[in-house]
Amino acid sequence: MPRTAKGIELEGTVLECMRNANFKVELQNGHTVLAHISGKIRKNYIKILPFDRVLVELSPYDLTRGRIVFRYR
Amino acid sequence: MNPLKSRHAVLLARVADGRWHALEDDLVVGRGEVSRRPDERLFVSIDAWSDEAFDRLAEAMLAELPRPLHTLVDETDLDLTARWLRAGFTVRRREWEYTVPTAPDDALPPTGVTIKAFGRAEEAPLVALDRAIRAERWPDLPAEIFVPPALDLSKYAVAAVDGHYVGLLRVAMVTRLPRIGLIAVRTDQQRRGIGRALLAHTLGALHGVGKTTASAEVSESNVAATALFEGFDARRTGSNLELVVR
Repeated sequence: MPRTAKGIELEGTVLECMRNANFKVELQNGHTVLAHISGKIRKNYIKILPFDRVLVELSPYDLTRGRIVFRYR
Repeated sequence: MNPLKSRHAVLLARVADGRWHALEDDLVVGRGEVSRRPDERLFVSIDAWSDEAFDRLAEAMLAELPRPLHTLVDETDLDLTARWLRAGFTVRRREWEYTVPTAPDDALPPTGVTIKAFGRAEEAPLVALDRAIRAERWPDLPAEIFVPPALDLSKYAVAAVDGHYVGLLRVAMVTRLPRIGLIAVRTDQQRRGIGRALLAHTLGALHGVGKTTASAEVSESNVAATALFEGFDARRTGSNLELVVR
């Protein structure tokens, strides 16, 4: 997994929109994480939908949690 | 990076103009950012993996940035909302997120009103209408993130009375889900069904190109707009809270 100044980032596909502004995302490595969206995405009113391809930054404290930092077109 | 100060294990660094990082053991555990919207309001965001990192970033940003500061949270994100409230922010307004089903447009516009389809409006009167509406109703308009250097005529449907442009609707064809970014009618032409005609035309046009739904955000206080969208069977799918600290 690439560890950069931004943390560990992986591409994934949104499987499901959950309650409490969370999303279930399947990462390229096959793992599934629970992710919320970044403040920048929310500020820009970018909608995240099932099947969207996204970039997820994983939590350094819990690799099952993440934050969606980019949505690919 | 220039660590500014330390308390416990979290260090703060201002990494660029308007951007902060919280660091713990050389890991970025929080990120803060400020940006200015076209209406000149400052919006901040903080992404942090711990309460401590969030609080430290909020403390540093609030100390350095001019007030008022705004932010946006999903109302169901109780943890993030609580963090901002703890930092001194209060709720300014609520925005409903709507999903609107598209449908063929078989309704006639009000008498004397002509709807110009997407891409058919003339630029100069559209620019003049856009400016007039901003001047009339800016506080009620939906949030605008970016103002392009020139209007993209393909994104606008326009209502005209006797050749004069009186209302407009802007759609952004974002990935898979079109977003109705703005629907506005000049104050002296409201309550004539022009907004309804513009929305019906737009939903019909989207239906015609195979889109089944569109999204929109409407301020809770804008009773006319919520009634308009709900009249087209729009469904509330969520809500955002705009928070402010003065």
